[in-house]
Amino acid sequence: MPKAETDLPRPEFRPAIPAAFSLLHSTVTRRWLLFAALALFAFLIRLPQLGERPMHTDESVNAFLIGKLLAGDQYRYDPQDRHGPLLYVVAEPLVKLLGAKNLSDLTETQLRLIPVLVGSTMVLLFGAAVDLFGLIPCLVAALLFALAPLPVYYSRYFIHETLFVAATLGLILAGWRTLQNPGILSAALTGGCAALMLACKETAIIHFFALGIGLLCVRLLKPSLPYPPAKVLATMLVIFVATGILLFTWFGQNWSGLTDLVRAMPRFAARASGEGHEKPFGYYGHLLDPLFILVFVAVAGAYAAICDVVSSRSKAGLFIAIYGLVIFLIYSAIPYKTPWLALNLWLPFSLLCGVGAAAFGKLLTKPAARWGAGLACGFFLLALFAQTKLLVFQHPADEKNPFAYAHTSEDLLQLPVRLAELAREKHIAQPRIAVVAADAWPLPWYLRKFSCVGYWQPGQAAGAADFFITTSEVPGPLAAQLQGFRPDFFGARPNVLLILWSPSATHVLAP
Amino acid sequence: MNKCFLQSVSLILVSAGMALAEDKVPLKTETPPPLFVGTPVPINVPNLEPKLKVWPNFEVPAGTVNLAKGKKVTASDSEPVVGTLDLLTDGEKAGDEGNWVELSQGKQWVQIDLEKAATISAVVVWHFHSQERVYRDVFVQVSDDPKFEKDVTTIYDNSAAGKDRPYIESCLGKLIDAKGVKGRYVRLYSAGNTTNKMNHYIEVEVFGKPVA
Repeated sequence: MPKAETDLPRPEFRPAIPAAFSLLHSTVTRRWLLFAALALFAFLIRLPQLGERPMHTDESVNAFLIGKLLAGDQYRYDPQDRHGPLLYVVAEPLVKLLGAKNLSDLTETQLRLIPVLVGSTMVLLFGAAVDLFGLIPCLVAALLFALAPLPVYYSRYFIHETLFVAATLGLILAGWRTLQNPGILSAALTGGCAALMLACKETAIIHFFALGIGLLCVRLLKPSLPYPPAKVLATMLVIFVATGILLFTWFGQNWSGLTDLVRAMPRFAARASGEGHEKPFGYYGHLLDPLFILVFVAVAGAYAAICDVVSSRSKAGLFIAIYGLVIFLIYSAIPYKTPWLALNLWLPFSLLCGVGAAAFGKLLTKPAARWGAGLACGFFLLALFAQTKLLVFQHPADEKNPFAYAHTSEDLLQLPVRLAELAREKHIAQPRIAVVAADAWPLPWYLRKFSCVGYWQPGQAAGAADFFITTSEVPGPLAAQLQGFRPDFFGARPNVLLILWSPSATHVLAP
Repeated sequence: MNKCFLQSVSLILVSAGMALAEDKVPLKTETPPPLFVGTPVPINVPNLEPKLKVWPNFEVPAGTVNLAKGKKVTASDSEPVVGTLDLLTDGEKAGDEGNWVELSQGKQWVQIDLEKAATISAVVVWHFHSQERVYRDVFVQVSDDPKFEKDVTTIYDNSAAGKDRPYIESCLGKLIDAKGVKGRYVRLYSAGNTTNKMNHYIEVEVFGKPVA
């Protein structure tokens, strides 16, 4: 008698890689895959034409310092103007890995790859913030960081800002985790991130203050938030101090870095008065969102965050809203303003936009309304991408571009080319170039491939040279030396001209 | 015969002297206020065109007027990026937004039709004066041929091939001595500037007298 069909063992249609399949079904894995895809998207957006935008003065100063490190010089923290050591700690090994051996080997692409990598990693880091803010707010924030013109522009800029904002997000995530579930590892991460912020920029103090205010307000509204144990607080402090000492002393090689850090604070406080960078109070508001569409969503986010606290759901939204508001007010009240500082505001702003978008999403219950909102978001993202394309790739150094602040003109790129041409024409194998200018930046970057370049202040005697470079304010004593030289003008940045003086055909060069 | 010859020479000399003495008057034009304070360029720097602080003393025959005012302007770039070509001859020289025309990048020209041939004493051009910048390869030509294919006289040339020096733009404009050249059309070239690759014009004035 044939066996009943039901008795036969049932075939098992299991996937070929069962472990991976079950992983894909895990919410956490799917979440990380989603944020990894967004991070990859952010990386791909940031990567093209990385070397094409002229080097801003600040970028060229940072590049020059990397060149000094490659030449074997020791890093010394400069309390006057140069910010912290983290950028150099990260950049030096990376550019070495990419093959740079000295300043003249360095390229714009190599250097800008550092903020590109950090900026893209930061998008991934939003995946770790889901437990804190929720999936939709983090997705929106990650998308805005990946796509919007402001973060994309400054993630391709060899300055400290992107590293600073990434460390701030790290501090918020690790700090909140420490508060919720105190542990040694999260405490160490909190202390480490805080130290990295300080090692990026001294303005970390402002952020520590704003984060403290945010925390205080949340605690006042909801006193149930527990205090971390003393052991955890001690770990945080020890790691913060140890990391700070390690970085500012350049791994124990320059102990004066610590006293210099203390000396830097009054200098930066004085700088806040403006020093030629004064802007109106509303400057950052305009930079963050000129169309006021995202501001509307962020305000809705702040309202939703308050509702969350009232209904005992989540306090994280309110914390980020207060932190954002405090730093916005402080940065706006300080007369000294530069557009890249707006990136500090973009972090709480994008998260609040996320909270607002999630709140709007909850209001839409009908499928048609959800589809409509989805389409509107799609169009908005396309418009945002079009802005990014225009400001980041098509006109990155244009004086009308709000992110291209006191930016090096594309015209200056022709100066080293012209110099090399003239040297070839005049059969000068190793041209002697004398730069006489009160502020020569970014020329040390653009003349890095010429081996015989000297820099003088306007009052100093420059000596004999094959070529001179001056500003349009030619110093009197030099005028006689320029007899028989032909001037060629180059734009250094808007309103700043440089003159390349090359020997005319009849001029006999001094030995 | 000698007496006749001497009389003729005397007459020519007196007539020439009268012509020279009679009609010369200082060229005057209204200049807009400066929009930026430029760096002072010492006058004693050789080979560097001195930056003007006041309108220069330049004499032209009496009766000389701005023949370009309101005249038709054409250009190599017929669709300017910003502004319209009529801004060149509208008499407004202020450097603010809305007063200048922007032609696309690279070598471009603008051309003014004076409507009839004229004896031109001077051309004054304002490219852009709200910031310190230099326009590249500026040269100015006059001709009776609208296509500038024949009988072309170059009155100014600071390109590599020319003898004139590049200059920094200012609210005083650039005064070009046309040396009484005759022609109906005036064409001005430039090839970008030290801030960007675009070409700009605020105003062009052509001072002269119509050929009788």
